[in-house]
Amino acid sequence: MTVLWHTWVQAFPAFVGGVRVTLELTGVSLLIALVLGFLLALARLSGVGVLRGAATGVVEVIRSIPTLILLFTAYYSLPQIGITVSGFVAAVGTLGIFYATLYGEIFRGAILAVDRGQREAAQALGLSPVTSLRTVILPQAFLRILPPATNQLSNLIKDTSLVFTIGLADLMFQAYNAGASNFRYFDMFILAGVLYFACYLILSKLLARWEMNVQRQRA
Amino acid sequence: MSNDSVLRAQHLTKRFGASLVFEDVTWEVHAQEVVAIIGPSGAGKSTLIRCINGLVPFESGTLELLGYQLTGGGRGPSRAVLQDIRTRVGMVFQTFNLFPHLSVRANIMLAPMEVKRVSRGQAAHRAAELLAMVGLEAKADMYPKRLSGGEQQRVAICRALAMEPEILLFDEPTSALDPELVGDVLAAIQQLAKEGRTMILVTHEMAFAKEVADTVVFMADHRIVEQGPARQVLEHPQTDRAQQFLQRVLRPGAPLGGASPASVAGGAER
Repeated sequence: MTVLWHTWVQAFPAFVGGVRVTLELTGVSLLIALVLGFLLALARLSGVGVLRGAATGVVEVIRSIPTLILLFTAYYSLPQIGITVSGFVAAVGTLGIFYATLYGEIFRGAILAVDRGQREAAQALGLSPVTSLRTVILPQAFLRILPPATNQLSNLIKDTSLVFTIGLADLMFQAYNAGASNFRYFDMFILAGVLYFACYLILSKLLARWEMNVQRQRA
Repeated sequence: MSNDSVLRAQHLTKRFGASLVFEDVTWEVHAQEVVAIIGPSGAGKSTLIRCINGLVPFESGTLELLGYQLTGGGRGPSRAVLQDIRTRVGMVFQTFNLFPHLSVRANIMLAPMEVKRVSRGQAAHRAAELLAMVGLEAKADMYPKRLSGGEQQRVAICRALAMEPEILLFDEPTSALDPELVGDVLAAIQQLAKEGRTMILVTHEMAFAKEVADTVVFMADHRIVEQGPARQVLEHPQTDRAQQFLQRVLRPGAPLGGASPASVAGGAER
């Protein structure tokens, strides 16, 4: 047991750097995913057929392709056609776009789930479609978005470990590296797992508290 | 068309796909008139008033409304025209449709602030006035789900009134309420009638229609079967169809005349 602690303490500084990279990847990817996802949802809900069809196509194709293929495409294939991106950009771009399709579906479902009477009431008061979305529909969709969005966030945190394959120094990379130098792979991967879990736990608790606050405020 | 007419429909027809909702509706509403639309379910009453504020398009005929000439079919009126109409025509729904994420006060303030750019202070002041009118000033900071159905409907009436509509539409405003809650809502509507507001109500409260409405429109089988002064249509219907309907809905012995909102609450057909 003391040996375990000892190796953990030794490896910890490198792991902290790894956690930082993992959280940066998660944060930037999430931001991209939320923005693009919202636009995808709007496109899929719009009355313009072409827009709806294009968005549906994008969602179906992207979510059916393994994330690793998308990542390798961004990092290894794009340079072939003259577009070179850094590992970080390739990673957040890939994860951002992939998760945009998932978040887009969450947004779309939540918007559709708002009672039709709410839209009618907003319309009948003379609110424009944009105002109605902003002041009536989205605030109500929000509580339906948070729980599934939190679930996907846990998947996103885990999926950032894929960047290990393109050499980004995230938590997974640090665990592998430490294991390679002290041959205590078992301890190192357990520590990495614990830290992934801690990241998820803290973020999900924060989001759950946010949800509770909103719910309490509207009671 | 007399010059105080706010609404004039001619040969209005509405279909949902192949099924007919109503046809050949020809009808006029004057300023300050209170119209009750009565009739059996499925006659097209609710859809008719939804056509008036553009929630539902109609297929043919013409509708003169607040200075606009609307024709059925085609692409319908422009978004700007629709929005102007909706701003000037208020609507109260059967299921209230209050915004659950906003307090009572915020429900009433939303549209004036967003659509008419009324200042927050002014909107709050007006909301307080309206809530006082329906006896709910104490509930301003509550959220809709804490309110009874009758209270929610009175808030919904305030929400519509906050836009200062020229015409107020009610789509079966008491049909979703427990019987003992109907009276307060009817009293609020009656108060508005006294203020001389132009109102069109789809209702099943015959006693109330008789007391409050100037005109009654009887719809059945997808058309207007009979229309005229409230008392005449309700007491001496000319058509067999209206006679039949009224006989069936007015329980034997139920008083038709002189109902106050309180007695309406207890004795109306429901």
